Amino acid sequence: MDMSQYRDLFVSEARDHLSAFGELIVRLEDVSGDQAAINELFRHAHSLKGMAATMGYDPIARLAHIMEDQLSHVRNGEIPLVPSLADLLLEGADALAGMVLQVESDSASIAESVGLIERLSAFDPGTEKTSARAASPPPEPVPSDPSAAVSHQFRQSDSLKSIRIKTETLDQLVNITGELITNRHRLAECARQSGLSTLDEPMQQLAALLRDLRDVVFKARMVPFAFIAERFPRLVRDLARKQGKEVAFHIEGKNIELDRGVLEEIAEALVHILRNAVDHGMDSPDERVAAGKSYNGEISLIVARDKDHVDIAVSDDGRGMDPERLKAKALENGVITAEQAGAMTNQEALMLICSPGFSTAATVSDISGRGVGMDAVRSAVHSLGGVLSIHSQVGTGSRIVLRLPITVSIIQVLMVRCGMFEVAFPVNVVNRTMELMREDIVDDAGQKAVLLDGVPVPVRSLNRLLGQPMVSGGAAGIVPAVICEVGGRQIAFITDRLLGQQEIFVRPLTTPLSFLRGISGATVTGDGRVIFVIDAASLA
Amino acid sequence: MGRTVMIVDDALFMRNILRGIVLEKGYIVVSEAASGIEAMKKLHSHHPDIILLDIILPDSNGLDLLQSITATSPESKVVICSGIGQEQVIQKALELGAKAFIQKPFTPEKVVEVLESLVG
Repeated sequence: MDMSQYRDLFVSEARDHLSAFGELIVRLEDVSGDQAAINELFRHAHSLKGMAATMGYDPIARLAHIMEDQLSHVRNGEIPLVPSLADLLLEGADALAGMVLQVESDSASIAESVGLIERLSAFDPGTEKTSARAASPPPEPVPSDPSAAVSHQFRQSDSLKSIRIKTETLDQLVNITGELITNRHRLAECARQSGLSTLDEPMQQLAALLRDLRDVVFKARMVPFAFIAERFPRLVRDLARKQGKEVAFHIEGKNIELDRGVLEEIAEALVHILRNAVDHGMDSPDERVAAGKSYNGEISLIVARDKDHVDIAVSDDGRGMDPERLKAKALENGVITAEQAGAMTNQEALMLICSPGFSTAATVSDISGRGVGMDAVRSAVHSLGGVLSIHSQVGTGSRIVLRLPITVSIIQVLMVRCGMFEVAFPVNVVNRTMELMREDIVDDAGQKAVLLDGVPVPVRSLNRLLGQPMVSGGAAGIVPAVICEVGGRQIAFITDRLLGQQEIFVRPLTTPLSFLRGISGATVTGDGRVIFVIDAASLA
Repeated sequence: MGRTVMIVDDALFMRNILRGIVLEKGYIVVSEAASGIEAMKKLHSHHPDIILLDIILPDSNGLDLLQSITATSPESKVVICSGIGQEQVIQKALELGAKAFIQKPFTPEKVVEVLESLVG
């Protein structure tokens, strides 16, 4: 019998088993004694072993077999799932994943992991160092209860209802849809100019169909947050263990869907944030107890949908950040001047950790490291047209929130006339628009500002920033302004005219246009003009 | 004795291989199930002559499922499929009425041999 015809199926099922396995292990460490989960772990190892043996992949079968063996000891209550065993099992899952990759890439032979097999078979829970964790009671051996097993979640291999599709194909679909929308605007413009009323009805139909097409294409690109979140529990766990910190980590909202492009862009940023939360945010168990806090620290990652946005919040109950110390550090590194430091709100001071120069400080202190990668995080969020905000309280912890659009390429914008240009502000950074009177604009410590709800909001001239003739202000001295929320504070951009809201298909800029400051993308209008999308954050 | 077969295994991979083997030998696969619940549901509409049953399933204790199957479809002959390390379970299954067992990994010949011995 020719087994090679089953290889692809083997690879895809083996991966399913391994990813479920890794996720379960990490979860089990939190909820020791979850008998249903232990059974499931055992079953994954067992199935993988059987499949590999059937295909003749003996190195995979041998490793899976020894893992299954240890899990059967755990299942029978002979040994607890101590962290060092969890480490070994995770290492095993990684090794198995590597072997599956070799199968997939058609390697002539699969490398055997002799050392790991030996360590697994020699594993003895008695050698586990006494730690607070090991001191907790071992999982209670629960007699196998079929009803409990049934209630436990399991995945059904429902292979015919979904198909795999190359992501490039999806990207092409989005591009074509975007071009169609642009073309519809052109067509509508032509119809209007030629005055053919017979075109009205089909044009409306076309518009409706294109909206449907856009929705379906976007739906096809949506991926649950779980897609990138799978590795986070492991990441937090490994980091915490390395540093001797006790951290309970949980994720909420894993099923909330975002555009694949948004997720890809944000995955690394979240790794940075979580890493910072463990490394710098979280205090050690001793410090925590001394401060009257619980022994275990908590880090949460909560994803929540809010209309056209998704908020991703990473919170920790660690040390928190002191705005005064951040300011002092920024001053020392020449990131800000003494004058700026004096005028800064706490909110603005917290945002200092995102300044490019801030984290380069050579001194190792609890705050200097906080900035590692945060400038990269901020630019990733901004490039998506999102908003980053930071909240922190000394002693009680920090919260970093990424407010992101659900999809990238087709967005709602506010069109603005600025000198000879029309430019677009993504509506998710715009708080509101208003008309300022010339005399409303006052001088606030050498900077132009306007009082909004009693708070001075800096005023920037969009025309000056884009090298356009100054805002005339019209006869009545009225100046239109776009109030944007940038890095936790408001900025008022004054310009010539507000034109209205529109849906556009944003194309990313390539070199050399991508070097232009203050612009994050461009779109082509129905009559063929190029409109640039403003990156408010980099103009603030 | 007829030649209708039901395959119960949570791995599509395993079901495909078993299906390939039995179809080639002229058996008819009347039903497949990926879980104990699914197996019991389908058993009510088919009473296959032979049931190839993976003893380790996501939602069921294999031995309990075996008992439910033999109670629902006593005329079906159950063949247990299981990997090494499950010898005790297999022994128990045979005591509970399973007619034969096939150890994973199996060769197509072994599967055919067991089936032929049952339909004899």
